[in-house]
Amino acid sequence: MDKLREEKIFKALMISSLAIVVGSLFIVVAVIVWNGAPALSLSMITQTSKGGYYLGKGGGILNAIVGSLYLGFGSLTLALMISLPAALALQKDYIGRTKAAYYIRLSLDVLWGTPSIVYGAFGFIIMLYLGMRASLLGGIIVLTILQLPVMIRTMEEVIKMVPVDLKEASYTLGATRFETTAGVVVRQALPGIVTAVILAFGRGIGDAASILFTAGYTDNLPRSFLDPVASLPLAVFFQLGTPFPEVQQRAYASALILLIIILALSIASRALSKRFMKNIIR
Amino acid sequence: MKSHISIQNLNAFYGDHAALRDITVEIPEKQITAIIGPSGCGKSTFLKCFNRLIDLTDGARASGKIMLGDVDVLNGSVEITDVRRRMGLLPQRPNPLPMSIYDNIAYGPRLHGTKDKKKLDQIVEKYLKIAGLWDEVKDRLKSPASKLSIGQQQRLCLARGLAVEPEIILCDEPTSALDPVSSQHIEEQLLELKKDYTIVIVTHNIHQAMRLADYVIHLYLGELVEHGPAIEVLENPKEERTRAYINGTFHTDIKIDTELNLKGNVCPYNFVYAKQALHELEKGKILKVIVDDPTAVTEVPRGMEADGHEVLRARQINKTDWEIVIRKN
Repeated sequence: MDKLREEKIFKALMISSLAIVVGSLFIVVAVIVWNGAPALSLSMITQTSKGGYYLGKGGGILNAIVGSLYLGFGSLTLALMISLPAALALQKDYIGRTKAAYYIRLSLDVLWGTPSIVYGAFGFIIMLYLGMRASLLGGIIVLTILQLPVMIRTMEEVIKMVPVDLKEASYTLGATRFETTAGVVVRQALPGIVTAVILAFGRGIGDAASILFTAGYTDNLPRSFLDPVASLPLAVFFQLGTPFPEVQQRAYASALILLIIILALSIASRALSKRFMKNIIR
Repeated sequence: MKSHISIQNLNAFYGDHAALRDITVEIPEKQITAIIGPSGCGKSTFLKCFNRLIDLTDGARASGKIMLGDVDVLNGSVEITDVRRRMGLLPQRPNPLPMSIYDNIAYGPRLHGTKDKKKLDQIVEKYLKIAGLWDEVKDRLKSPASKLSIGQQQRLCLARGLAVEPEIILCDEPTSALDPVSSQHIEEQLLELKKDYTIVIVTHNIHQAMRLADYVIHLYLGELVEHGPAIEVLENPKEERTRAYINGTFHTDIKIDTELNLKGNVCPYNFVYAKQALHELEKGKILKVIVDDPTAVTEVPRGMEADGHEVLRARQINKTDWEIVIRKN
């Protein structure tokens, strides 16, 4: 085969792959916007679900929006507090070279691929054992565990990319391992760490199965960590499950709200990342 | 000559491979000591033992003694961060930290407890001036260090190293990544700095050693071949291997089996003759050919390597002639 044809075929292949990706995403978004936008109203995001909401009567899904934000940011904070030190510990400078690190990575990879319903069921069993009810706290904890593998492995990959030269520079100035890690490694890896956080946030806030049993669902706003809490993915699920077209449309509107939240966070993090990028050594 | 670092029976290993063998030598105080030798002879490893940066390499270890005053650097219980603070390192390629110019310099002093903003300002200005960088960067101290040119980055690294007030500056081929002007700049700074600091510079550039060094250590394949005042070692080496290295020959112990004079021949005949001569040799034997055709200087070695033979050296021996040494494989 001549080179020119090879080139053309490969190019066609790349373009068609991209077209499939962009096309399918576009269809998903288009369907959501098409069905959801007409049902979107101010009352939907300012009111909680009243009695009869799922039968097509008035009210909104403020309870689910607030619940999702609580669950999303709560679990994100907790997961970040655990993931960053864990990912840093997997550096060569600490335990990265040991056999234990190998098995930790392996189990994280397996956990990453585990369906979220398994996390939900696991969390539910533990909560039953402890005598806990479905609650915001339970949801946050299960979501945190769900996010950990994504966060740790993604962070570890970007931390691994920090050039050895930079660490050496810090060590030769008399820095300890901790000072080098906190002052140089984290700084250099920060844009990547932000990306890892966004990935994990997306997984957390968009997940329905793991919080089905652990966070529960309610028409009210949670007043404490021990109250059950509504969430957008479950709101979508329940609304779609009704036989009323009007309510089904609201499901699309809820999905649209979820999309907007994730989009906003992505854009914000990108802007943030850009500021961190300023000093990065390439 | 007052000794600053005393190295006793230093051995270094990467796994089973001995990178340094039984080296005992003194580094004189407030002078420039050049460590010379071909690539892979253990020069950088030697330097990495001084501040125990070798600890960071997988499977590497060092034994023996490196005495800095009455502190044995290689003793595991020694406060290594303090030892490292006492020795600045100027790396082969500049490695600015991912922060602003100002913070790069202030990083070290901050680690060691200087928090006062005014004091830090003074330190930054002082050492940027010493490194000859102040005038170029004083208006953009807050901009990223990575935006500087590579020559400026190297001077920044020098200033950063000096800012923690070391006694010793270790330089690992500090000009090999730099253009000639920046190199000269660094060399001038080092000559200036030797008034106050003990400087150890690893270099494979014999001319650089001649320009800078007061004292020379010659390493070859992990062994200490010769050391002494620069004038003696560089002008009048006692060891044949040092003489050979300075003259630009690494393989002095090569036994030439056959010699072939191909002067006056042009390509491709000189190549064909060389091939014939090699054909008659046994495997592992060594052939030396002399050529004067400029094309042959590049083409004969290339052709021989393409045939699977090993070219041990190709160098100019006088104005017109080149010798090429080939081992049959």
